[in-house]
Amino acid sequence: MLRELDPLLHSQLRLAIVSILLSVEEADFVYLKEQTGATAGNLSVQLDKLATAGYIEVTKEFVGKKTRTSCQITERGREAFEQYVEALKEYLKL
Amino acid sequence: MEEKKLNEKESLELITQMIRQSRKNIGTGSGNRFLLYGYLAVVLAVVVFALVRTTGSSMWASAWFLMFAPFIYTTVYDRKHRPTVITYTDRMIDETWKVIGTLFVITVLTMMILGYALGSVNFGLMMPLALIYCGIGTSITGLVIKDSVLAYLPLFGLVFAIYMLMTLPALQHVPATWHLYFGISFLIMMVIPGHNLNAKYHK
Repeated sequence: MLRELDPLLHSQLRLAIVSILLSVEEADFVYLKEQTGATAGNLSVQLDKLATAGYIEVTKEFVGKKTRTSCQITERGREAFEQYVEALKEYLKL
Repeated sequence: MEEKKLNEKESLELITQMIRQSRKNIGTGSGNRFLLYGYLAVVLAVVVFALVRTTGSSMWASAWFLMFAPFIYTTVYDRKHRPTVITYTDRMIDETWKVIGTLFVITVLTMMILGYALGSVNFGLMMPLALIYCGIGTSITGLVIKDSVLAYLPLFGLVFAIYMLMTLPALQHVPATWHLYFGISFLIMMVIPGHNLNAKYHK
């Protein structure tokens, strides 16, 4: 029986965010927005969902007078992503 | 990009595309930091050599402590200008230079404490040690970013460090020419690889 795909990752924008964060140490909001082409509002909502699930860690800090939101993938997020890819392989019979 | 469900094939394609895209947008970095330290060392080498030679006072060698100035400047600059993305490579390089920086601080402090306890301190030893520390740091950076010039050229600069370490025990004072050797080492170790890295970066 095929295992269920993680609904948190099985969405275009959230999967894109996690894929980017997997290949870097840390990325800020501006970078994620540029790479995904998402709107700020939508990106913010999806980041919140991923952070609530413990898949990513969001840090807000002041750099000069501006706020900077940076994101990092967590160990839990990494494991979830690995399981998601394994499940995808089963579906696609790879 | 919108919040939409994907089929399995689309998911895999998206993962591949995002990873490839983010890797493509990450450069190897510029050689400006190496040029900053390299040129400062070359200028200081000439100035210190000229001052020590003309006045006969080795006190002018303390001007080498100005080499810590770019460290303070870059630390402040980096705090104000955080990059939008930090890669594993960036972190590895950052950690390497933090270790090298700590080595410098520990060495200077140890020399000062021992010098105080023994009644005199000869900072001459700092010159070959600085060349070894910086040479190793530059080489590691070169290996991490896969730049063979940056990885291997600093090793030639270390020849002067070995010469200094071999001759130091027989010397009463640090010869004025050592300041020039130090500058030449930095030219080989940082200025040439720095320009090479910049040329590669701008291509």
